[in-house]
Amino acid sequence: MTKDGGIKIDVWVNEERLEKLKAAGLAEIAREKFAGMMVLEIACTEELKDALLRKYPSAKYDSSTTHSIELIPREVKDGIFSTALRLHSTGPEVIGQFLQEKKD
Amino acid sequence: MNNLGHNDKPVVEHIMKGEVEKKLHGLPVLPVRREIAHEVISMAYGFFTPVSGFMGRDEVTSTLSRMELPDGSLWSIPIVLDVKQEEIKRLGLKPSDSVLLEYLGAPLATLDIDEFFSYDLGKMAEMAYGTRDPKHPGVKRTMEYSGDFVAGRINLVNEPVFNEPFSEFWKTPLQHRQAFAMKNWKNVVAHQTRNVPHSGHESLMKQAWFAANEDMPVDEIHTGVLVNAIIGEKRTGDYIDEAILLGQDALRKGGYFKDNVHMVTFTLWDMRYAGPREAIFHAILRTNLGCTHHMFGRDHAGVGNFYKPYDAQDVLKAERDKLKIKPVFLRENWYCPVCNEVTNEALCGHENQSQNFSGTLIRSILTDGVKPTKRVMRPEVFDVVMSSADKYGFGSPFVTNEYLNSRQPVFNLQKMEVLAS
Repeated sequence: MTKDGGIKIDVWVNEERLEKLKAAGLAEIAREKFAGMMVLEIACTEELKDALLRKYPSAKYDSSTTHSIELIPREVKDGIFSTALRLHSTGPEVIGQFLQEKKD
Repeated sequence: MNNLGHNDKPVVEHIMKGEVEKKLHGLPVLPVRREIAHEVISMAYGFFTPVSGFMGRDEVTSTLSRMELPDGSLWSIPIVLDVKQEEIKRLGLKPSDSVLLEYLGAPLATLDIDEFFSYDLGKMAEMAYGTRDPKHPGVKRTMEYSGDFVAGRINLVNEPVFNEPFSEFWKTPLQHRQAFAMKNWKNVVAHQTRNVPHSGHESLMKQAWFAANEDMPVDEIHTGVLVNAIIGEKRTGDYIDEAILLGQDALRKGGYFKDNVHMVTFTLWDMRYAGPREAIFHAILRTNLGCTHHMFGRDHAGVGNFYKPYDAQDVLKAERDKLKIKPVFLRENWYCPVCNEVTNEALCGHENQSQNFSGTLIRSILTDGVKPTKRVMRPEVFDVVMSSADKYGFGSPFVTNEYLNSRQPVFNLQKMEVLAS
């Protein structure tokens, strides 16, 4: 879950992604989560979660422990990361925009 | 060589030799599904010693009610062959008949029938798993049985030919014992796994090595770690089999374990997720492989919240005198940013700052294809897992529907010319 207890998507940050975040002045929004691994936590609403799971049926929502959406295909995560970078945000509008673009 | 297995019963192979096709001529043919074929193979090579055939009613009842076989050997999980009544009628089977079990369109084994019986499936599930909840995968499996069973001893007639990469890791119990002797291992600690290894697993194996070495000097090494993966039923989201075996092997190839202390093999078995009962089964299985010690960590072979985290360790303590293998009990491991190392609940005093190796978290990292830090996973392991994903997993290190439907088989059986009656 996010710091405020909501649904989230973890986008793990490797060196390449960290460089892109730095270039966009967003490096500070990535945080260390586990044993040196950095993550970008993208917030998600209940409605957006359902829409995402409908569009990508291999994805699963872990309702019991992490409250995160898991098993999202890698290329989808890449798209979500790019959208976050473009919008300079980790709020739910990232997923909204991403799904809207996929619909168009 | 001492080839005594569980309860000091000899590990014996049940394999038909010499003019096999002639001996099979005229036998009725009963096709079996994958899980039954796997159990036939495991029994034939002695993995389940002293069980060498599908159980009858008395064996099932004593396993469920007293957790022992009628001869008093500790045993925890029923090994049964369910066959539909119409199939028994179609083949005209009766006690003392022999039948040829067929798998993948090829002869697999003979079954010498001792008994037909039916069993209350709900009762079987509840006694084995402590619940009738169909969300428990073992219960689901049990409730899918036909309710009618055939008991009898089996003889393998067609030895499986394992495909790459499985062939590199396949050893029968007797071959395990020979391999241990070749390495001069006196003590062997088994690591049960269905995972690719992260640093937490590696740390647990290293802790277990010291426990298993006991008071032997370390100027010459006589203790090994056997990573014995379970290869069987897969569900979407599990790690693909190939990534598990090759990932575990990468720990030794990468030098994180020396050649003379580490070995990777597998056993054909469908996890029942029976928690404490499955822990007993794993202890018996690895006794038969020749192991002297077995690692048991948090929530061993559990699923969901059906068992408490250390139920398996409690039952092993209670049944300790009936097992030849020594359990190595381990607590939950974690990464501690204060200790700056992978440590565990038994040793580390920074509980409030511990970072758990959650399976969900590791899967999430691998799904993104992001190379983890060395404190999470060795780079050699990550590289092998991702190349396995490309080579065997249709691009994913996790089981997908495509993998389930189109994966390469674990083994093949040679076709034989056998005329059925």
